[in-house]
Amino acid sequence: MPHPKSDILQGTLDLMVLKTLDALGPLHGYGIARRIEQISEEALQINQGTIYASLVRLLQKRWIAGAWGTSDNNRKAKFYSLTKAGRKQLEAQAENWERISGVIGRVLELAARR
Amino acid sequence: MWNRLRVLYSRIGGLFSGRRPAQEFERELESHLAMLIEENLRRGMPPAEAERAARIRLGGLTQLKETNRELRGLPFIETFLQDARYAWRMLRKNPGFTAVAVLTLALGIGANTAIFSVVYAVLLKPLPYAHPEQLVTAFQANTQEGVPEDGVSYPNFEEWRAQNHVFSELAGITAHQLTLTGRGEPSVVDTSVVTPEHFALLDVKPLHGRVFFPAEGKQGAPPVVIISENLWRGTLGADPRILGSSIILDKRPFTVVGIMPAGFRSPFIETKQEVWIPLVQDPLFGSWMARRAGHWLPVFGRLKPGVSIAQAQAEMDAISDRLAREFPAENKGWTVRLVPLQKEIVGDVRTALLVLLGAVGLVLLIACANIANLLLTRATSRSKEIAVRTALGAGRARIIRQLLSETAVLGLLGGIIGIALAYAGVQVLGSLMPENLPRLNPIRVDNFVLAFALVLSAIASVAFGLVPAIFSANSNIQGSLRDGGGRSGESLNRRRARSFLAAAEISLAMVLLVAAGLLLRSFSKLTSVSPGFETHSIVKAEVSLPQFQYSTPPQWIAFSDKLLAQVQAQPGMQDTAVAVPLPIVNGKINLGFDIVGAPPASAAESRLADYASVSPEYLRVMGIPLLAGRFFNQQDILSAPRVSVISKTFAQRYFPNQDPIGKRLNFGFPPNPDVEREIVGIVGDVRDVSLGEAPGPMMYVPFAQVPFWGANLVVKSTLSTSAVAAAIRQEVQNIDRDLPVTDVAKLPDLIDASVSQQRFRTFLLGLFAAMALILAATGIFGVIAYSVACRTNEIGIRLALGASRSAILRMILRETLLLTLAGLLVGIPCALAASHFVGHLLFGVSANDPVTLAAVAFTLAAVAAFAGFLPARRAMRVDPVIALRHE
Repeated sequence: MPHPKSDILQGTLDLMVLKTLDALGPLHGYGIARRIEQISEEALQINQGTIYASLVRLLQKRWIAGAWGTSDNNRKAKFYSLTKAGRKQLEAQAENWERISGVIGRVLELAARR
Repeated sequence: MWNRLRVLYSRIGGLFSGRRPAQEFERELESHLAMLIEENLRRGMPPAEAERAARIRLGGLTQLKETNRELRGLPFIETFLQDARYAWRMLRKNPGFTAVAVLTLALGIGANTAIFSVVYAVLLKPLPYAHPEQLVTAFQANTQEGVPEDGVSYPNFEEWRAQNHVFSELAGITAHQLTLTGRGEPSVVDTSVVTPEHFALLDVKPLHGRVFFPAEGKQGAPPVVIISENLWRGTLGADPRILGSSIILDKRPFTVVGIMPAGFRSPFIETKQEVWIPLVQDPLFGSWMARRAGHWLPVFGRLKPGVSIAQAQAEMDAISDRLAREFPAENKGWTVRLVPLQKEIVGDVRTALLVLLGAVGLVLLIACANIANLLLTRATSRSKEIAVRTALGAGRARIIRQLLSETAVLGLLGGIIGIALAYAGVQVLGSLMPENLPRLNPIRVDNFVLAFALVLSAIASVAFGLVPAIFSANSNIQGSLRDGGGRSGESLNRRRARSFLAAAEISLAMVLLVAAGLLLRSFSKLTSVSPGFETHSIVKAEVSLPQFQYSTPPQWIAFSDKLLAQVQAQPGMQDTAVAVPLPIVNGKINLGFDIVGAPPASAAESRLADYASVSPEYLRVMGIPLLAGRFFNQQDILSAPRVSVISKTFAQRYFPNQDPIGKRLNFGFPPNPDVEREIVGIVGDVRDVSLGEAPGPMMYVPFAQVPFWGANLVVKSTLSTSAVAAAIRQEVQNIDRDLPVTDVAKLPDLIDASVSQQRFRTFLLGLFAAMALILAATGIFGVIAYSVACRTNEIGIRLALGASRSAILRMILRETLLLTLAGLLVGIPCALAASHFVGHLLFGVSANDPVTLAAVAFTLAAVAAFAGFLPARRAMRVDPVIALRHE
């Protein structure tokens, strides 16, 4: 069994993958990894391979679908796209995430004021 | 929730998708890597550097693939499957070992599953009625007269119904045979005679039509009948207009109002149940309904929800007290006994079935011990392999897991073959099973039984697998690795374990053999007991007269006289008689009586005797000896004074030190219970209930004075059964073309059939004991043979040093006998304890019968000695030169 670091981190990565696919449309693993690196302004230093675990999980939940296609520079690659269930999930999780991060932010602010 | 299920589903799918997804992922990673390299090249890195950096950014390929594989499938199961595949290969490499182990296990599982299917259907499965736990039987009992359970009279039944507040419904049910005419050949239909509430109580719906209305149970209601689907589809040719039309039963038209589905059976009634009629319409029982005396109607009821059987019992006690005060003549001393319906139906079959289940359980246990022994032996020769695995870093748990996977594969194989055997076994059991085994539920391998078999094989494989697995995993690596062949390096612990298993097998086999031996001896005693009458070359047939045509006793007598004369006139007939009832075949009719002129019976003494109405030739046909006085003759007719003949036991019990001849008894079959009869003779005792029950007092009356509307014809003849049957049929048809002749059979066959349950369980237990004996013998053989093989070297040295060959033989035999002795020493007390479970299945043998015990111990010792002798002989023939080169 793999040793997942924590559910929050795993869930975060999944959410980022979902959001990326939502924003850019169908994309291959390399594209997703690049995008996450760029958005996070290289703050998130992960092995790009890590996203494949996330992709398998999302595939199994049927939140994304995968199909082989051809990339911009004519290379065969597997493209992932958001499914209907995935879009719904993204909305729910994004909301959830904002609420939690809001709460955490307030808690941290409180702690800082003391 | 749904997400989890989806993931699980996808992962299970992953187990079976083979290598394709892995290859696809590889391609995906390659493509990703290529894109990264391109990016790096664009940035101006040299090609070699570009590839290196790309690999670092992507992460370790092997690790990624591994993670991916684990995420896609179920790793635990994958490891198991891998182990199982390996185990399968190992088992295929040792076909002999595999065949023996799998077959042993399959026999054990198959026998257990087959017996369990019977136990489940008869004992465990709820009765096939709605809320069966609410159903109870209500019997009358009279402890003063020693009557444990009896029926109730109809007026009392009506009081119960009216006065109780604990039953939602009470119904009476009894059985009868009626003659069906007007539809092809006249035939006898098995009739369930019920009070109308019977169907509502069981909460059953008819296939077509309706059940009885309450008003149809009242006097004067038009005759109605409900028929079974089988009768409808068979004799009645599935007539679609049957509802509303009528069928002729005992020469009287009954309107068909409903058809019950083929699977439905009323409780209690062991006959075929072809039609149901209201009690009031029955020609026999209907006429008894007005009388408060008598105990003939079995009653059962449905408790109201939430009412316990104890509460119901309390209320019924109060009601029966009231009835005893109100009608002391009929009800004094009679109480009500409530018993759960299922318990009542199962009766004493329960013990026999549980004994059989216990017996097959023991067989399986012995089989497991045997396989464990085989595995231990094999584990010894595999210790090197295990040591290599351990040295390469396999943990103890991992090794145990691998070995258990192997036994799980064995267990699974054994289980599958065992289940196949069980299907066959249930078929065989079905054909061997006595007719009178209660089975409202069909006996078959259903899902529950299958689940039982699977759980059993799982438990069994852990049972025989765990011990060898633990031993193997604990083995000393260094020793095993250094050791050349892995043979002489057997640890003492392991040898002890094997000897222990072999001795345990002997003990278990002892338990089974003693139980089987006791049953066998009991059965042979039972079948050699004399019933008090001859059976040889006697054929019996039943004729019953429709009571609406033959309604008066003189008509019955005229019919039987005519029939007897005509059958007797046929060639080859030695003697011909009629009797109601026939001993053992029909069971008993038990009546109370009074001795005229004697003081009334004390509370301790019950004046009850079995009763039979017979024609004068009966004594000659049946070969019952006349001990004093005379038997009936042609002058004992309706117009002559009433006479009676009593049995030896009757005379000894009620007329000690007196001559009973000339004394008068007062008794009678309902509806004429008080008739004085003079005792004119004494005859020998007859076992009339069963071979196993000692003869009680009996009283006979002449058929010509107490006739019946139907009777058994008994014929002693030199002809074959079929010739006699043909002659009887011919003569009956000559008198009345519409009369069926039923139940033609040879008396010896019927006596045989009366012990069918005993034969059945004796046969099965004997079979299981034989299996146990063979398994135990192979167990001993295995241990000794292996021990000889391990000691070849040692034996060679002994021989080289001058030991005689007979000394070697003695040495090995001593080892065998020590094992056997240990097994017997433990086995004897176990067997004595266990034989008490079969105690009350026994006839004429005590549960601690020393003969059986000694015979079994001797047999086991002899078989074990033989099993040990084969390898011992091999040891004796060891060539010291070869043996010393053995390593």
